Amino acid sequence: MTSMKSMKPRRGGAATALALGLRALLGLLALLVLTAPRPTAAEDRMTIRGNYYREQSTRVLAPVVYVEKDIPDERFTVGAEYLLDAVTSASIGAGAAAVTGGDYLFTEFRHETTLRLMSRQKNWSFSGFFRYSTESDWISRAFGLSAARDLFNRAGTLSLTYTANFDTVNKIFAGRVLPHNSTGGTNLQQVNFIGLGYTHALTRRLLGGLLFEGILATGPQDNPYRQVRDGLPETHPLERRRGAISGFLRYAVPRTPLVLEPRYRLYADDWGIVAHGLDLRAHVRFLKRVILRGRYRYYTQSGAEFWAADGYYPSDAAYRTADPKMSKFHSHTPGGELTVELDGLARLRGLHWLRGAWVQATYNHIFVSENYRFGNARLGSLAFSIPF
Amino acid sequence: MSTASSHRRARLVGAALTLAFAVPASGCATVKPSEREVLSRPEMNPASEGLEEQFQSHVESAREGGFGGHGAAGGGCGCG
Repeated sequence: MTSMKSMKPRRGGAATALALGLRALLGLLALLVLTAPRPTAAEDRMTIRGNYYREQSTRVLAPVVYVEKDIPDERFTVGAEYLLDAVTSASIGAGAAAVTGGDYLFTEFRHETTLRLMSRQKNWSFSGFFRYSTESDWISRAFGLSAARDLFNRAGTLSLTYTANFDTVNKIFAGRVLPHNSTGGTNLQQVNFIGLGYTHALTRRLLGGLLFEGILATGPQDNPYRQVRDGLPETHPLERRRGAISGFLRYAVPRTPLVLEPRYRLYADDWGIVAHGLDLRAHVRFLKRVILRGRYRYYTQSGAEFWAADGYYPSDAAYRTADPKMSKFHSHTPGGELTVELDGLARLRGLHWLRGAWVQATYNHIFVSENYRFGNARLGSLAFSIPF
Repeated sequence: MSTASSHRRARLVGAALTLAFAVPASGCATVKPSEREVLSRPEMNPASEGLEEQFQSHVESAREGGFGGHGAAGGGCGCG
């Protein structure tokens, strides 16, 4: 015998049954979310950072604002970022002379917006982003997905990340925007990146991590304005496979306010470049609310197989480059960073809103080997971050 | 590409992989949550320097052949 209750869906037809099923599923999901153990709410935060970069022929001012908000807690977080790149080049910089037609200073603006979604559920965390960047001759669209799982009672975290870029590469010639296909049939540059990382608390004072990176880039990868010494255009291969492995340690030195952080990265690609990057950092909390970070980085790379040190290529050369990034060189980068937490000021009347806020100043100076055409560079930034 | 160069690269990758798997294997002992006071300090958090690292990475990808490929790029600065 069939009860009246169980007959109801059948009497309403398949559509009604589907609607009821969906409603039940949504109800179940809502119940799961509402009854799940609530993690401590992370901070909603806004950070404003002004970045400055200066080298021989290029100056970059890059303000960025980033806002992150939990809805309602860290089980679901939304982040948004806007970055403005204001790049001023002298004509010595590749591209500026071609665009301006002479020896002028040339300022280019790039606008970049990023939307991020993050979710943390027990031992899992997920995130995704979409980024759109535009300037006069280049449009970039990128998205990424990432999943991470805490292991060994949260002593370790394994993460997997995938990102993809779809960039439209153009060149400006005589005031017109033209597609740049290089030697291929499209001006679409696609980049696929995959990263597998693992971080582990090795002891009570030592944290270590490893990251494997793999990148496949296809499409035009040369600069449409750059020419080699005999006036022929730069021509790079249309495909590039890149791989890297990197590791870091963070060690809190006993009975001192010092944290030491060595990093190392080994990189190789099928254009013939092998690179080593060694980064040593020391973090010192020398007052209750002040952290000083010192840094030294050494970087060295071999040249690409098709790099010619004298800049001359035979007319039948398959590939030609005038890109300093393809040359053999090394660099030294000392730097410092000062972070001041403003909780002390928050105790004063009228300044309670500064609780959890901080200001930060960073400076790095890059010294390169003599043969490197971009020359030495200076990087600085000022940042202010506040929870809300 | 020369054979010597290929062998050199293979040796480098082999050494890196050995190091990569040896280090975590030696650290599989679990640090209990009650023992992580020092590890929870802000200076020990690898994610604490995200925005600053982002700018550094952007600059490095514009100047170095061994970096980049996973962020927004541009050709306007002439450094692409």
